[in-house]
Amino acid sequence: MLTCFVFAQEETKETSIFKHFKNNLSASYESNTQWYLNDSKFGDFEEEEHLRSTNFLRLDYSISNQFSAGIQLESYAPENLLNNSKLYDKDLGVATYYLRYATKKLDITLGYFYEQFGSGLILRAWEDRALGVNTAIRGARLIYYPSNSIKITTLYGKQRKGFEVSDGDIFGVDAEIDLSKTLGILSSNSLVLGLSYVGKNESYTKADETNTTDIPELVNAVSARLDYTHQNFYTNIEYIQKSQDLRLNNIIPNVVTFSENETFKGSAISWTAGYSQKGFGVSYNFRRLENMRWFSERAQSNANNNPTNQLSVNYLPALSKQHDYTLANIYLYQSQPGLFIESYETPLIKAGEIGQFIDVFYNIKKGSFLGGKYGTKINLNMSYWASLASDFSDPTGIPYFVSDNLTYETEFINFKNKLYTDLNLEVRKKWSKRLKSIFTFINLYYNKSILESKIDNNSVRAWIGVADGTYKFGKGKSLRLELQHLSTNDDARNWMGGTVEYFFNSKFGLYVNDSYNYEDSKIDQDTKIHFFNIGGSYTKGASRFSINYGRQRGGLLCVGGICRPVSQNTGVTINFTTAF
Amino acid sequence: MFIIYYTKMNKIILRSLLFLGLLSHAQSPLPSIELKTLSGQFINTDDIASNNKLMIVSLWATWCVPCKNELDAVAEVYEDWIEETNVKYFAISIDDSRTSKRIKPMIDGKDWEFEILLDENSELKRSFGVSTVPFTVIVKDGLVVYKHTGYTPGYEDELYEELLKFSE
Repeated sequence: MLTCFVFAQEETKETSIFKHFKNNLSASYESNTQWYLNDSKFGDFEEEEHLRSTNFLRLDYSISNQFSAGIQLESYAPENLLNNSKLYDKDLGVATYYLRYATKKLDITLGYFYEQFGSGLILRAWEDRALGVNTAIRGARLIYYPSNSIKITTLYGKQRKGFEVSDGDIFGVDAEIDLSKTLGILSSNSLVLGLSYVGKNESYTKADETNTTDIPELVNAVSARLDYTHQNFYTNIEYIQKSQDLRLNNIIPNVVTFSENETFKGSAISWTAGYSQKGFGVSYNFRRLENMRWFSERAQSNANNNPTNQLSVNYLPALSKQHDYTLANIYLYQSQPGLFIESYETPLIKAGEIGQFIDVFYNIKKGSFLGGKYGTKINLNMSYWASLASDFSDPTGIPYFVSDNLTYETEFINFKNKLYTDLNLEVRKKWSKRLKSIFTFINLYYNKSILESKIDNNSVRAWIGVADGTYKFGKGKSLRLELQHLSTNDDARNWMGGTVEYFFNSKFGLYVNDSYNYEDSKIDQDTKIHFFNIGGSYTKGASRFSINYGRQRGGLLCVGGICRPVSQNTGVTINFTTAF
Repeated sequence: MFIIYYTKMNKIILRSLLFLGLLSHAQSPLPSIELKTLSGQFINTDDIASNNKLMIVSLWATWCVPCKNELDAVAEVYEDWIEETNVKYFAISIDDSRTSKRIKPMIDGKDWEFEILLDENSELKRSFGVSTVPFTVIVKDGLVVYKHTGYTPGYEDELYEELLKFSE
């Protein structure tokens, strides 16, 4: 009897230790597996490994109120998924780890950390598993709050390079000062100032020892930004200047050499202004980027060798509307932030981009003629992007941009070299308690020759229409139908597409989707071909399992504003994610 | 054959997963993460949690159609939810600089009454161990008591049922 009692007591103690442990541990697991199949249209899958899987296990444990620690294990077995970076090459390895001490005043991290200064134009260490990007920095970061309106971040480290780290060192300081609190401005106003410095140091050995040009191993960038809100009006401005750096010498596409006779500065400016009130919002955005591609290892700036943008110090996404529908994702703008001189085949020179976009949101009130019983939501979005207007000159007079003495000058404001424009109109309308619909219309211009570095003079004008309707049967049962059409006489010409999705309950759903390029066209890719997909998903709490079988388009794949070339493929994809 | 191959590859991770399976239904505290307000001021999740007894924290993005469907659907019944449960709904955007400029006009244009905060570098998203949005949690007295990933039409009714369990 007594032993029983003692045993029971011990068990309670053990249970409470376990409870304490599990309440302070959070874990998540993600698995993406693809099985590449041979395709009757594309031919056989030519790479050796048909079945590939990437897995992420992340554990975070809070040791006490101040201390926490974490680790992320990653597995790429037998190798990374198709089109993803080969830098991630271990069957199972420790990818990141950290130890953190945090109080109200001080926050110190040792190990790997993610960080962003301002909008990320100067520095962003981030992770996106769907894109296969992880630019975490390994080192130390210290955040200090001298008061509740000032935040100072300092950091030092090397960037993640697969399971290794970069050769170059990164160090940075960022100060964010809430002036409205400091100066005691009224609560309807707000003014926040940010100042940053980021440096990258990396050794360099000259290919030509006799060259006398001063080649900087330390590249510095400074930035200032201001966020101002006054009642319904708001504005934000950010400016960055980057010091002299080498440029790639692109005479042979995959060979990394640098042009040692000249070095080039970079700069970025971004400005937003908007007004919004209940039921109406408008915002205008302008951005100009010149020679802003920046890597913690300068050799990674070669896009042929690094199409997935690994080891990028900053974040330079395309600023145009992000679409969900398949046909709306064929001609997408990709940002052109870098100085790029291609001197093979047809020479091509780019120094950066300039552009603007405007967004208008309007809610037509319930009960009005156009609003109907439930109101109608309208979004109009327009963007215009151009290549920087630049004059390139070469004192030695060598043609085809092959000389190392080449320099250039750009105009600050000139929109003449049009690369991309679009107009998007989206109307969301609820018809009854059960039926909802979304109508989308897109009209676009896409300069394929420059955006995809294609030789021939090739641009695309297209319009796309999408009708999307969802009918709810109740108890989680719903049916979604989507019809799409893309009309153009250019490139691969017309497409049509559709999706049928049915949810049996809120947990389990199935879908079929097809995009069909139904016209003959001049180009050989994508012509008269179905991209058919079928799949399903099961969700319970924080876990989700999905499976898909089908054919994926090749070409540029853009997710989250980052585009990269992908090869077409057919296969089965299985995803599983869970979090505790 | 496929299953065997798959199991082999994931053996170690799956084994740890089994162990972690024991940990499900944990009521861990809301991670302490610094977020931003729409006007650029910083705010910590600790402060939000200590000021709100019952809240829903939902990760979303302007480019995510199911997220917007969820928020549109909740917006219609939000007033009733507040009345019945005194809940506060925090819609936390994971938009980065590519799309973050659209947030402010969008929420006003859509007439959403939620508390909107920004998780610009996905710190909170990572702490939740989430790879896709929408992701919705119920937080009671600073503890995460319910988690859900994804949105399907009509799911808001289930979320409300869950919410009722935790309201007094």
